[in-house]
Order: sequence, then structure tokens, then C-alpha cells
Amino acid sequence: MSPRILGAASPFILTIFVFLFLAVALFIGLGQPPFQTLAVLVQFAVGDSYSLSQTMAKTTPILLCALAAAVPGRLGLISVGAEGQLHAGAIAGTALVLLAPVWPAPVLIPLMLIFAAIGGAIYGYIPGLLRARLDVNETIVTLLMNYVTVLLVAALVFGPWRDPASQGWPATMQFPPNAVLPALPGSRIHLGLLLGLVAALALHIYFNHSRWADKVRILAGNRKVGETFGLSFGFWVMVLMSVGGALAGLAGISEVSAIQGRLQQSISLGYGLTGFLVSWLSRHQPLIILPVSLCVGGLVAGSDALQMFAKVPAASAVILQGLLFAAALAVPGLLARWRKAQ
Amino acid sequence: MPESLVQFAGVTRRFGDLIAVNNASLDIRAGEVLAILGENGAGKSTLMKMLYGLYPASEGQILLDGAPAKISGPADAMRNGIGMVFQHFSLLPALSVRDNLLLSWPKTPFWKSHRNARTDDVLTSLAELAPQIDPERIVSSLSVGEQQLVELCKVLNINARLVILDEPTSVLTPAEATRLHGFIKQLAGRGVAVALITHKLADVEACADRIVVMRRGSVVDIAERGARSMAETVALMMGQSVDRTLRPPPAFGRTVPRLVLENVSAQRPDMSLQGISLSIAAGEIVGVAGVAGNGQALLAEAVAGVEPLTAGDILLDGVSIARHTPFEAVSTPLGYIPEQPRDNGVVATMSLARNLALRDLAQGKRATGRHANLLERFNVNPPDPAKLAGTLSGGNVQKLVIARELGIQRDAILACYPTMGLDLAAIEMVYAAMFAQAASGAAVLWISEDLDDLLAGSHRIAVMREGRLVALLDNDGTLSREAVGALMTGMTETEAAA
Amino acid sequence: MSVEMIAILASWGIATLRSATPLIFATLGETLVQRVGIINLGTEGEMLLGACVGFAVGVATGNPWLGLMAGALAGAVLSLLHAGLVLGAGANQIGSGLAVWMIALGATSYFGRALVGQQVTPLPSLGSDWSDGIPLVGTILSQMTMAAPMALAAVVFAAWWLNQTRPGLHWKAVGESALIAAENGIRPIRVRVTAIMVGGLLAGLGGAILSVDYTQTWAQEMTKGRGLVAVGLVIVARWKPALVLPVCLLFGLTEVATLRLQSAGFELSPHLLGTAPYLVVLLVLVGSHVVARRASAMPADLKAVFQ
Repeated sequence: MSPRILGAASPFILTIFVFLFLAVALFIGLGQPPFQTLAVLVQFAVGDSYSLSQTMAKTTPILLCALAAAVPGRLGLISVGAEGQLHAGAIAGTALVLLAPVWPAPVLIPLMLIFAAIGGAIYGYIPGLLRARLDVNETIVTLLMNYVTVLLVAALVFGPWRDPASQGWPATMQFPPNAVLPALPGSRIHLGLLLGLVAALALHIYFNHSRWADKVRILAGNRKVGETFGLSFGFWVMVLMSVGGALAGLAGISEVSAIQGRLQQSISLGYGLTGFLVSWLSRHQPLIILPVSLCVGGLVAGSDALQMFAKVPAASAVILQGLLFAAALAVPGLLARWRKAQ
Repeated sequence: MPESLVQFAGVTRRFGDLIAVNNASLDIRAGEVLAILGENGAGKSTLMKMLYGLYPASEGQILLDGAPAKISGPADAMRNGIGMVFQHFSLLPALSVRDNLLLSWPKTPFWKSHRNARTDDVLTSLAELAPQIDPERIVSSLSVGEQQLVELCKVLNINARLVILDEPTSVLTPAEATRLHGFIKQLAGRGVAVALITHKLADVEACADRIVVMRRGSVVDIAERGARSMAETVALMMGQSVDRTLRPPPAFGRTVPRLVLENVSAQRPDMSLQGISLSIAAGEIVGVAGVAGNGQALLAEAVAGVEPLTAGDILLDGVSIARHTPFEAVSTPLGYIPEQPRDNGVVATMSLARNLALRDLAQGKRATGRHANLLERFNVNPPDPAKLAGTLSGGNVQKLVIARELGIQRDAILACYPTMGLDLAAIEMVYAAMFAQAASGAAVLWISEDLDDLLAGSHRIAVMREGRLVALLDNDGTLSREAVGALMTGMTETEAAA
Repeated sequence: MSVEMIAILASWGIATLRSATPLIFATLGETLVQRVGIINLGTEGEMLLGACVGFAVGVATGNPWLGLMAGALAGAVLSLLHAGLVLGAGANQIGSGLAVWMIALGATSYFGRALVGQQVTPLPSLGSDWSDGIPLVGTILSQMTMAAPMALAAVVFAAWWLNQTRPGLHWKAVGESALIAAENGIRPIRVRVTAIMVGGLLAGLGGAILSVDYTQTWAQEMTKGRGLVAVGLVIVARWKPALVLPVCLLFGLTEVATLRLQSAGFELSPHLLGTAPYLVVLLVLVGSHVVARRASAMPADLKAVFQ
């Protein structure tokens, strides 16, 4: 690449190039034919309608978890708690289904979603409260809290919530049809994706075009100035952390209801961390999160299929995500440094 | 003529488009005190920082002992016997005096414990210069004057042949400054070259042997002591002959208390305000004098409703405007110019127009364009409302905040160091705007480090020390800066003079 | 106090120390990194990689010491990625740490599959024919390996390094202000890279001790957030190496208590008990903030990272 093109290239394009280079290097390192593997990966992600449906199914929780990180991110908070909030939402939503499995779908499904959102919101509110009142770093608290709800789900499905009919498999009973989120026929594209789309649009409008948008922007830009003019940093920390938690909670219940059909361990393939990555790549902008989560969803779905058909372990998807993250962190700074040196 | 220790030959330094130092040539000789005089932003500090290795020269050459200096960083400078005392000290407040001295001492052994006899020498200059300072004390617990002494000890410890002092008296009380002047002359007497960066004529009068005047990056004059009258020197520094006297604000006739501080108390880990009571009438200007770090910053934030009070109240026209718990939010009705406005007064990531409309935006109202003419009125450069506040220079950020806060008539004004970092024309404009507010009935609380300005421009002067209000004086023309300075340090006037 | 009581206390004490040892190394490493003004969430990844590489080398060579060395080295190498991203490219420190964690997470699950179910030669116990004759001391020594004494020595050394030596003073200075340190002739970048690598080395060693010495198995994601716990405990320990020991022992004690409650047939879900160490760490973290309202012991340059 000539220096002139390099100089004009946007950090975004360059990040993609660096990432592809790293991916090729990785596959060579793993002993896989790099370009062929990448081609197969793309084919498994978007090759046919089945692949697309799989990609959409993976995109849904990633999108919601990305929004969950983006909402507090607008205030400059670094919340990595979507994984724990996702499990909290799954627990809360499942609790309602287990309590009232016979309620009709038009009542049960909205209530189930609300329960899940509240569960996630409470789980986001706690680190928000600690940050607002005691100045405890929200990143560390959310990271540690993640482990707690994952273990809670395990405790529940091994214990009181285990379905006796499941022959020892640790899971709740199968969700009745009236508790399953509606989906496009013959696909795994379900209501959760629509919720994610609507949330992204609503957040975009709120954070960019509403009368209140500047409150968060002022506080994020300069907390002290915001407080001088009557904005409470603590209040907004708690609000945004709770809203983020609610979105991750929706991701949890939609995985349980629409994809797994019951609450069990490993309802999340690390969606919380992946969502955080997506939000970071998109600079916490909801409209950019939409396409980015679709791409990363395709990456996750594609490497899932790669494991089944090409015997490349799905863990390679996690490495690829890590490399993408590293590339996105490194490129803008290196580019700025390079331009300065010119 | 004595040998030149250091020679600048046509040195230029650019920062992007800005030319901070333009083709400067001068020399510094052993055993002399060279004052480098100029206004804020004239390029004095930049010039000396190049010598100290913090910035490379864009053009030109710096000669040391007649040969091109190979100084690529402060470590090289120190090795060559050049020490610098910065305007903001290069002390680490969280460490002890001893550790701070060890940090820059070239002879610090690997095992630096006080049980190691080889570390004893690091304290000799401290014992000589400031025997009252316990080396185990944490630097943040020292007064500013004491910190400066520690800073000087650091420079003496490296056996400096050249000591650069960057605005050393700006943080000192008059008595401390006098002591420093004496010490500078003593250093020169020992054959050390001293480069004294300053914008105060008092420093020049007290101890300079030669005077370099800089204006807008260029050296405009180099003269021996006594070769020019002070008026000539000022004219060279300002580029025009300027009358520096403040026009005092009109006397106020009303005595209705407008801004009332009742037993205001607040707490921070390193500072507490203890029961400050003060009543300011409509049209009255009360100046707050004090050595930096005696609670002025905390007082300002308490009055502005940023810092919650632990006790007491603040009333504006009888209505409380204080923040009482950390969890409530108060929008200050005061015209508030905070200290360090880049950190405390603007949102760097928002446009100038939005920064002017912050009060509306914070209350969920749409920004209107009605503020745009303020940029021109207050000479914010560039006056482009779409520009981001973070791209402005320090002085222009200050003017932006002043435009927002003094651009419309207020009931009360709280101004912290409102002229810091501004050029003379801008300072005049700020005082004019502030006094006009008072003339129209605003109560003004004005915190400043510049005693002369406070004495010239305020009706009463409140003196702060260690978080308390130690005196409230009528500025009836009989107050002397020495008397106020003595109150600032807690000494009696005779002690201060000694 | 009866002999049995002493024996029980000693057995709990040793179990606590053994359980805390990997965490002591990781927390100590993170403490040193934070003292130079850098936060490294990649500690989790460095531990994980250290555990994986250490176990693999231990299995392959049959020598646990080589395993520990390899694990430590792997942690140090991985930490260079954090150093490069943060200091070279000016990347956000939290983001960079998470990227390091993700890469290690993926890499160890990828390559670690072959290690599941493998046997590793453990570190030799400190007991000997000579010491077995002494009551209590003999039992204690026979339950211990060199790992725990090494951890104690590392704590003492780190405290001495920071407080008594010239390079330690330079580290503290860089953490307080890289700018002022530079004005005093210190090269902050060099100090920070060194400290990050030492932190990675200690985290990798801690991970290797976890897999080679403590559990003597490899399992995916076996560190279970210990590296993140370490980052939290640094705050509780007020950035002081000497305090690393007690706070890590608290974590170890909680873990031992939950394990012993389970084996004592306590009627509570093991998963529920498994949350206890995290909850305890969260509680002490919150508690330490209540006690010291503003984190005044925090190195000043770190405050910029935490806003």
C-alpha cells in the first residue's frame, strides 16, 4: 500500500485490513489453509438461508448485549456486565414461566419479557449504585458479578428448578408453546431481534436527537461542568446502568425462550463480552452497532458451523474476536502516530 | 566580558502553526541573574524548556560551553549541570521530601533506605536552606513556599551551573518572594548562572543583572540592569505603552445583602472549610486573598454548588443555592468562572455554541443561536460557533467561559482567578465586564492571587488561611500589600518584614 | 488448646495458603503494574495462558519446575501485547486488557483441549524423613510445596523493592506522574514496560502454580476470574504489596471453607457455595471504599484511567 493511500485510509478500513491479516496469520498458525478457511467461514455465515438464519440467531443476543454496554458507555462508563445481566434476565423471566406456565401467550410473553428486563436492570443497578454512591469502579464490579449469576443458573437447574422428566440433564422443563417468543416460520429469527432493532433505533434517537441528549453528553464530556449546571452524575449512572442491564436481560430470556426452549447452563456463548467488543468497535453508537453486531454474529455462527463441518474448534472464533479487538485498539493510535511523524 | 555558559543562536520552536519562539538569540553567563521578562505566552518558558531538553528546537542552535548542546531530555540537562524549577513543581505530592530529593539526585544508591549512610548527602542542601522541613514529611502537607524550597534543593543537589526558575514568585507571599530574591543573589554570588523567567517587574527590580524582554515569541530587547527605565521596559514587554492601573468600580450605595455565606463548611480529604461567614451586598466586590492551596478552590466549588456542604448554607437573595448532600444536583444561578476553565468550565467535545448554551442544554432545553455574538464581544478566537471547545487555546477557553458567565446580567458573580493566562487587553476587558456587573447590582466574590489587582479593584478583602476566613478588611485605601500578605501567612507584619 | 484443635487449625491454614498462592502472585503482579500507573485486566488472560502453557510443559517434560518457568514466561510474553497496545498505540487500558483476556481465552480453549485429563508430575512436598519425625511440623511440611514459600518471599521482595530501592522509587514516581518522573530524568515508558512484564510474569507463574501445583489438572477457563479478582483485590490492598497477603488469604479461606462445607455433606448447592469467593471479594471491595471514601492511596496517574 502506498503511503498516500495509507494516509487517506480511514482507521476503520485499515482496522479491517489488519484484522484480516491477523486472521490469515492465525489460520496459518493453526495449520489451516487460510483463504479457504476464511471462504468457508463466510459461506457458513451468509451462504444460504439456513446460515443466514443461524447468523441472525447469534446476532440477536450480541446486538442486545452491545446495546447494554453502549448505554452506560455514552456516559463514559465501562460496563462489562452484560453476561451477568443476561443470566439475571434469564432467571427472572424463567421464574415467571415456571410460576404461571398456563397463562395465554399474549399475557405471558410480555410479562416474561418485562420480568427479564427488570431482572437484568436490577443486576445493572447494583454496580451503578456502587459507582454513584461509593465511587467503586464499575468495570471490576460488573466483571466479578458475571460469575455470580452464571453459578446461580447452575445452582437452579441442578437444584430446585431441575425438571424431573429430563432424566438427570440439568435443565428446567421445556417452555410451553405459549412462553416461546414468536419467530419467522422455519427459521431461528425471533422477536428478540425485532426488540434489538427497535431498541437501537430508540437509543439512537434518544442519544442524538432528543431534548435530553445533551444532558448525558455534557456529563460524559465533563462531569464537573455538568454538576455545576445541576446534572447529577450519580443519577445518570444508575439510570443508564439499569437500562443497559434491562437490555441484556432481554437477551437472556430470548435465548432461553426462543433458542434453547428451557433454562440450562451455557445459554450464552460469551455474548456479554462479545457484545462489549461490538459496542466498543462502534464507539457506543447504536446505528453502527447494528451492522457490526451482524458481522460479528456471522463470525460466531460461521465458526460454529466450521467446528461441525471442518473440525476447526469454535474457540478460534474467540481468538478472532480478540484479534479484532486488538486491531481496533491498535490501528487508530498507530495511524495517528504515523501521521504525526510525517 | 564574562564567558557565555549557554548561547541561543537563532532558535525557533513551532507547535503546529503556532510559532512559540521565533528566531531568538541570547546568551547566559556564569554568575549572573538573567531575567527573562514577558507576558503570558511570550515564549519565555518554551525557550528555557528547549534548553532543558523538553522540546527540540525547530530551527537554530543551542550552544553549551561554546559547543552544540546534546540535550535530548531533562536527564541530559541535569548531567550538564542545568537545573530547572518549574512553575508547576516537579515534586510528587504523594511521596516524602526525602524520596523527592532522592529521585533526581544522580548519586542515589540502589539501596536507598535511610539506614544507608550513602544517602545522607542528599539532605545537606535541605539542612542548609530549610532546616525547619522534616525530610520524612509528605510533600502534599507542605506549604507552597516550602515546596519551592524543596524544589530548589533538588536543583542544588545536582551541583547546577545554571538554575532556571520559571515564574518562581507567582505562588509566594510578598515576604517569601523577598527571601527568594535574596537567595537568588546568593546563588549568583557563588558563580551559578540564574535564568529567572517572570512577568513581574518586582522580581526584575529586586535581583536581575541583565534583562531580556520577549514579546510574541521574539526577543525584543536585551539590556544591562539600569540601562532602561521601568516604563521603557514595560512598553517593550507590552508592545505599547499601557496604563496598568485598574479603574476602581463605582462605590455602591445599597447595603442590602445579596449573596450570603452562613457558616459554610465543607470537607475534602486534603482540605476542609471551617465555618466561613460572609455577606456581600448588591453592587459590592469582595476579593478573597490567600496563598494558593488554602481552601480557595474548595470555597469556590462550595459556593457554586458543586461541592456539598457539611454545615451552613449559602443564600442568594434569601434563597438557598448550596448543595447539601452529594446526591442532589444544584444548577448554580451565579455567574461562575471556575479556576482552570479548561478542566472545570467547558465541555471540550462540544461546540462553542453549545458551550455557551450549557445552562439551557443541561435543563433539557434546545440550544438557541442567540449567544453567538458573545464570541465576538469577548474576543474569542476563532469566533466560530461550530468549532469544538477542545481546539481553543487556554486563553480563549478562559474568554469563552467568561463570555458565557458575564455575557448577561447576573445577580451574583463568583470569579476564580478570572484573568489567569490572559493578555493585557483581555484582562482589561474581563475587569470591565466584572465591574459593570457590580455596577448593575451584582454581588461579586472574586478570588485572586494578584494582591495588587485585589487592592485596586475590590471594596473589601477577605483573607483565607487553612480553610478559614482569618480577616475581613475594608479596602479604604490604607491597606498595604505587606499587611495583607502577613495575614495570608499567619505572621505578624514585623515578622514578615524580618 | 487441645492438640486436635491445633491440628485442625494448621490444616485449614495450610489449605488456605495453598488456595491463595496463585492469587497472591497475580495480585502482587497487578499491584506492581498499577503502581506504575497502568491497569491490566489482561491479568486474567495471563494467568490462564500461564496455567495452560505451564501444565503443557509440565506434562511434556515431566518436570513441574520447567512447567512453572514456562508458564511465567508465557504470561510475560502475553503482557507485552498489553504494553504494546497501551504504550505503543495509546489504546484504552481497560479495552486492551479485555482484548488480551479474549485472545488468551480463545487460545487456551483451542490448544487446551489436548490437555484435558492429562496427568502432571506435582511439585515435591516439603516433608522429608527428617521432618516427619517432628509432630505437627512434619504434617504441615508434608502438605506443603515450595509454591507457598515462594509467594511469601515474592511479597517480601516486592515490598522491599518498592520502598527501599532506587528503581522501586522510580516505579512509584512514574505511577504518581509520568510527566513529573520524566522531568526528573526517568524514562517512564521503559519503567512501565518493565513493570507490565513483571506483572505478566507473576500472573503467568500464578496460573502455572494453579494448574501444576494446586489442582494438578487442566480445565477450560480454569482460573474462573481469579485474574479479575486480583485487579479488585489490589484496590482492597491499597496498592501496598504487604497487604496483598492478607486480602488474598481471605479469598483463599472462603474457597477452602466452601470446599470443606461441601465435603462435610453440607446441604447446599455447590454452585451456590461457589459464588461465595466472588461475593466476599465484592464485599471487601465495597467495604474498603466505605472505609476510605476517596481512594487517596491510588497512584495519581491511575486516577486518569478510572476518570
